[in-house]
Amino acid sequence: MEPLIRVDNIRYTYPAGTGKPALTDVSLSIGAGEYVAIVGANGSGKSTLARHLNALLVPDQGDVWVNGWNTRDRAHIRDIRRTVGMVFQVPDNQIVATIVEDDVAFGPENLGIPEDELPARVREALAAVGLEEHGHRASHLLSAGQKQRLAIAAALAMRPLCLVLDEATAMLDPAGKADLLRIVRRLHRSGTTIVAVTHSMSEALEADRVIVLAEGRIVMDGTPAQVFADAESLERYGLDVPPAARLAHLLAAHWPDFPRHLLDAEALADAVCRHLSLGAHVRTTHPLAATDTGGQPVLPPDASGQAPYIALEDVHYTYLAGTPLETRALRGVSMDIRPGETIAIIGPTGSGKSTLLQHLNGLLRPHAGRARVLGVDLTDPRADVRALRRRVGLVFQQPEAQLFERYAGDDVAFGPLAFGSSLEQARERVRRAMEAVGLPFETYKDRLTLTLSGGERRRLALAGVLALEPQVLVLDEPTAGLDPRGRNDLLALLRRWRDADRAIVFSSHNMDDVALLADRVYIIAEGRIAHAAPVREAFSAPESLVGFGLGLPTAMTFAQALARRGCPIPTDLLTLEELAHAIVRLADERIRV
Amino acid sequence: MSASEFDLLRTVTLGQYLPTGSALHRADPRVKIASGILLVVAVTATSSLAGLTLAFALVIAGFAVARIPIAYALSGIKPMLPFLALLGIFQAIAIPQNDANTTVYWRWAFITLTARDAVAVALLFAKFSVLVWGISLLSFTTSTTALTHGTEHLLRPLQRIGLPAHEFALMVNIALRFVPLLAQETERLMKAQASRGADFGAGRRLNFVQRFRKLLPLLIPLILATLQRAEDLILAMEARCYTGGKGRTHLVRFRAQASDYAILALVLIVLAATVAAGFTSADATVWRIVSTVWR
Repeated sequence: MEPLIRVDNIRYTYPAGTGKPALTDVSLSIGAGEYVAIVGANGSGKSTLARHLNALLVPDQGDVWVNGWNTRDRAHIRDIRRTVGMVFQVPDNQIVATIVEDDVAFGPENLGIPEDELPARVREALAAVGLEEHGHRASHLLSAGQKQRLAIAAALAMRPLCLVLDEATAMLDPAGKADLLRIVRRLHRSGTTIVAVTHSMSEALEADRVIVLAEGRIVMDGTPAQVFADAESLERYGLDVPPAARLAHLLAAHWPDFPRHLLDAEALADAVCRHLSLGAHVRTTHPLAATDTGGQPVLPPDASGQAPYIALEDVHYTYLAGTPLETRALRGVSMDIRPGETIAIIGPTGSGKSTLLQHLNGLLRPHAGRARVLGVDLTDPRADVRALRRRVGLVFQQPEAQLFERYAGDDVAFGPLAFGSSLEQARERVRRAMEAVGLPFETYKDRLTLTLSGGERRRLALAGVLALEPQVLVLDEPTAGLDPRGRNDLLALLRRWRDADRAIVFSSHNMDDVALLADRVYIIAEGRIAHAAPVREAFSAPESLVGFGLGLPTAMTFAQALARRGCPIPTDLLTLEELAHAIVRLADERIRV
Repeated sequence: MSASEFDLLRTVTLGQYLPTGSALHRADPRVKIASGILLVVAVTATSSLAGLTLAFALVIAGFAVARIPIAYALSGIKPMLPFLALLGIFQAIAIPQNDANTTVYWRWAFITLTARDAVAVALLFAKFSVLVWGISLLSFTTSTTALTHGTEHLLRPLQRIGLPAHEFALMVNIALRFVPLLAQETERLMKAQASRGADFGAGRRLNFVQRFRKLLPLLIPLILATLQRAEDLILAMEARCYTGGKGRTHLVRFRAQASDYAILALVLIVLAATVAAGFTSADATVWRIVSTVWR
């Protein structure tokens, strides 16, 4: 049978690019009803490939066939595009109309579907994504998750056979992601072919088949079990294995006969239990070395003797106060942040995290309550907030979008020069900041900012703030949208940066980031602090987290799966390394008994 | 409550929509747009205070039907006042209304203020205010989507003579969608660059080049982001088979009700009277009443 999509030895080079081909000799077939994940690091060519699947791009060499039509054939362009619907990464950039219904109708309208049929199509598509109640709402008032569901509905309204999702979950919070994946799973069950482009390995697990791209070539293609068995290759391609597989690898380092190809928490928990009960005879081959847990703070978290760097007391902030559009973003937030601490602020989208972070360097000032940051009283209208901004570096979400100089070094120098450093001083600060983020000064200072990779641009933007040599570093979603390698690099450099005189405050949707980096956690919901605790404690009361749509660190999900099976494992473990350590110790104790 | 120095972009309320769910909100947008256009034409064409009073009464009646607090609606003129004052001064000084049989109030050098000047300024104020209120009535009662749909439907007959009505409506719709996004983006960039020490406040006097250099950290990322958005949107539209207005069907169809025709008829009659008042002695009568009351 002819596959739904056949990509035949294609090659593609962007006309305005560096001349390096984005895709080289790519061939693959996707059969009707398949669920395929295309994974690859940033810049591996996965989005380029996705855009060939519905003729948004046409290959320089080779052919792409969709349902028997060649994408070169302009006469069938509508047939091709209505067969393969697409959902893109940025929620706001793919909505055409100001009203939800109108946006869903846009595709069918373009196809010239008879006007009597349009309302039914719109209803059906909105129902498929659970937005039937929102048809008359203004599209810009939807949450990011709802916007992505709208984008899916807009594609479904053309009744496609195949849906291509190009990193469609990358900008969503955990709850939004879970919703979207559930919808996609349901569509797949009802017969829609799914192609999901992602760099999240746990999302790739949803698929029946995983295709790995590196530097524009297909380097792996198989079932998730086959692909994720080869951790070394994946790491070489800037990717990772799913967390369960990583834990299995860690355990296999101690127990040579432990299965390495486990992919989900349940299978892994079963294997561990089996091993603990049956495998008592399998003594570990060598005694355990003290594992480097990586997540431990440089200082003991108890630094309560010292005066706090940041002290907020009952802080309130309201946007557009006194107008019909008034929003109360903060309704009484109190927190203390002391030297040497790393603080995570977590909470669902719209809970007030960004507003809170903007108080820490005086971009916003409290409307009520008290705020002292490094000795500066923010409620005092004469406070010198500009000087404060040098000492409290704030890194916004996706800071790479704020780079503006042609050369990397110049961009980093902007801050020091703006704050009056001499050229000599600025050069020295730029050098130190660039070394700190792993972009050696001599190699990178004269590189064009636009030619750097996504991860490098993120780190360069961070260097732009570190060059101010702040005492407190504030980051809004520092790892969002990075591929696994980019994320690991960034977390490692933040761990290197902190010391006894510095403090880090960051917000994140990724609980593994929080587990790896934070000493203490503030959970914020509806503008109030809902819970504040040291990180272990915060995660050992998982009910509260799930209630806020926040999820758990992977290690805790696994520990819970083990605990459900009656395995006496502590449930306050933060990293997979800690968990592996605890499991192995448990086994050793059993042998001794 | 103190507004943040970066909050300025969110306080733009031009073209506000106030959904009160009144009969006027439900009326056919084509009728409302046509009425708005007629109002602009009539108010511009008339030079009669009596006529403008009629038009004003029509707009006030509209606010009442739409259940919009009249004081709130009328306060919409406030931001325009400095501009109006300037216009009034200009009218009084630069366009002298001198002839023998008018009272002179004040004379200085070549400037004379006469009774006729006063009338001209009053007319100007009245015209401008009625226009602003009339257009805000339209925007209070009509969502932007209804506006663009209505405009597209009104212009559709002109498509036959080659006017790109659909493209025009789509363009307006997309612009309306992206303006708030751009405002947000600008705000975020200002904050991000301010965090790195950029200073967008006035401060020292700067020449053009210096001022331009100061804006670069804002302009370059903003332009890049806007281009990126435009490119993304084009892809999203192409992926949904957009190839221009030809052969498209429409989800939204308008069918005018009897009430819509009634609104249109009422508007036509009142505005015809507005224009006609300029050709009668109605104004003289009004003035006589005003001057009697004055004494």
